[in-house]
Amino acid sequence: MFIYEKKLQYPVRIKNPNPALAKFIITQYGGPDGELAASLRYLSQRFSMPYPELKGLLTDIGVEELGHMEIVATIVHQLTRSMSEEDVKRAGLETYFVDHTAGVYPQFASGTPWTAATIAVKGDVITDLIEDMAAEQKARTTYDNILRMSDDPDVNDVIRFLREREIVHFQRFGEGLRLATERMDQKNIYAINPAFDRQRAVTTTEKGTT
Amino acid sequence: MEEKKRACDYKSGQLPSCAPLALSYVPMQEGSTPQYEADEALIRGTLFPGLDLPWKNIVNTVPHSDTPLGELMALDFVVHELGLYLDTHKDDAEAFALYQSFLRLAEEGRKRYVELYGPLTRPDMLGDKSFTWLNNPWPWDYTERMGDK
Repeated sequence: MFIYEKKLQYPVRIKNPNPALAKFIITQYGGPDGELAASLRYLSQRFSMPYPELKGLLTDIGVEELGHMEIVATIVHQLTRSMSEEDVKRAGLETYFVDHTAGVYPQFASGTPWTAATIAVKGDVITDLIEDMAAEQKARTTYDNILRMSDDPDVNDVIRFLREREIVHFQRFGEGLRLATERMDQKNIYAINPAFDRQRAVTTTEKGTT
Repeated sequence: MEEKKRACDYKSGQLPSCAPLALSYVPMQEGSTPQYEADEALIRGTLFPGLDLPWKNIVNTVPHSDTPLGELMALDFVVHELGLYLDTHKDDAEAFALYQSFLRLAEEGRKRYVELYGPLTRPDMLGDKSFTWLNNPWPWDYTERMGDK
């Protein structure tokens, strides 16, 4: 169950509308390493996690990413508020504008619509956590690149916050991986996938085959 | 708060001396101290100076806590950040005690805000005379001063 809280995790107040910036910042809403991808990746992966720390971590970070989605959408919305047709043309935003006007649509910076093809849910503890660590790094790089492209202090203040969250999440996923793998067979860490094989192990024991 | 003895400096953490091959390892954060104050934690994006690794060392410096909403955001942020830390350090009693105290502060901040500005969640309308949920601003609306109507 989710309950909406009528506030952002971090304040967004963009004094100067600037549709040209919205054109690429939107990629952190619906792009390959954006916040929508992050939240769905973690909130989907958690169902197959066998350990309470990982269920908690994926739920808590997944929910935070929903909040980040809202923050990025708010940046895009405020950058494109009260723009005229002339502003759209000057910013080179025509291709987006004809499809979505000033709506906020989850897409890559390149215009490709958001796709689940950019996330992975492998159902394997080690694989999913390493995917998550890579995902945090990809998002961190994207925020680095946004900071290289944007000179608006109101925008960059928020982007720096979001970027730092990727680093904290990387640390926590890494710690989650440590806690998980310490429970596994230290002589052959890949002997089984604890997200799947624990049920089967019980079955084989019952049959007396072990 | 007294700092616990630890093997590494706060920007580092411990790795196993021997560990299975073909796996990646992130050092465990060894304790929840040192910490930033709540409003600085929010603008830095982390409670923990050890994890604060800014791009080109450029950091946010303007605090947001000059309004009830700014204060609440900072307190809620610390609660969330400590919650993630506790997800992987559930037996850290010192961090859990701090978590308790910030839960209390955030709860007070929430009450203060709701009284002044209206509901944050729908149950906050309990006892209200009208359906205030729809009152502006919504979180994505641009306002001169945060939390203002």
